[in-house]
Amino acid sequence: MTASKLSVLRMVILVIKHGVLLGLMLFLFGVFYVSIEDLNVLYETFAKNYYLNNGFEDTYARNLVTAIYLDYRLFDSIFEAGILLIAVSGIMWISKHDIEKHNVHFMLDKFKTPDLFVMFARIVYPLMLVFGFYVVVNGHISPGGGFQGGAIIATAILILYYIDPNKETDSTFIVSIEKGVFLLIIAFAMVSIFTKGTMFTNPFTSTNADVQSIYLIVMNVLIGVKVALGLWTIFTAFLREGR
Amino acid sequence: MNPLLTFVVILIGLYGLSTSKNIIKSVFCVTITEAGVILLFLNLGNFEGGSVPIFLEGLSEIVDPLPQALMITTIVIGSTVTALALMLCIKIFHHFGSVEWEVVLRDGGDE
Repeated sequence: MTASKLSVLRMVILVIKHGVLLGLMLFLFGVFYVSIEDLNVLYETFAKNYYLNNGFEDTYARNLVTAIYLDYRLFDSIFEAGILLIAVSGIMWISKHDIEKHNVHFMLDKFKTPDLFVMFARIVYPLMLVFGFYVVVNGHISPGGGFQGGAIIATAILILYYIDPNKETDSTFIVSIEKGVFLLIIAFAMVSIFTKGTMFTNPFTSTNADVQSIYLIVMNVLIGVKVALGLWTIFTAFLREGR
Repeated sequence: MNPLLTFVVILIGLYGLSTSKNIIKSVFCVTITEAGVILLFLNLGNFEGGSVPIFLEGLSEIVDPLPQALMITTIVIGSTVTALALMLCIKIFHHFGSVEWEVVLRDGGDE
């Protein structure tokens, strides 16, 4: 067989491969198009009405999303924080390196950060930090919460690397703090077994909304600190990989 | 938003996942698929004119808070898993000198 025949054969195989793939995609799309009516029929508003009618009385959180992830489904949130910790530990382990500490200097040299950006970062950094804390602390009465506010705080900390390029971070120490915060979250979630007899709910028995919201604020702050430290560790791990 | 559009996003991610020749592009396609799934879930309890799920007196027209609370979990886990995958990509590049699937599969099979 000549070379041109081989190339033609390869082209035919390529076309068949992509054709089969596109056909599979069209088939999946057709399946979804047929079943899209069932999706609207199967959807029940029962849970929504339950959370709307009982959410505030049960958990004293005006933000119903916070009510779900800090009270009704706190078990899920704890394991979510655990998965974050496991992923951060995996990243730290994979990126194990001869160079123990590294700073952002090489990145600044390589990409030539403009002075205007550094100047503006100095102004924005405290505002971002304060906004992150606001989102975390007001998570139970307004949109926000620990996860979102923690991400904002982590972004503010990353901007700090541009302001002070000589900054060095001991990421092992940060991971140790993160592990401690994770244990604190589990411990604080289990306090309610002494006051109410069931685990993973609000431990305060008072009917005053201000007293009850202490639990929500503390949990949001703990989760926010944990998420911020985790994202910070991921960033420093990538920083140490830079060449 | 039409739920069909969210499924188009999922299919774009799956198509890219099965045709991309670069490992980093595969990671991006996983992220695109995940974004489609997140949109699909947020679409379920959503309707035109619904307000944010924050409890106020005399409020009845809110969107469903349950998918939103579940999708917070998905977003956080997705970001960490993407970071883990990209870190593995860096290690693969340092070991094989390339992030192409062909090179990695060819060189990795000998060991």
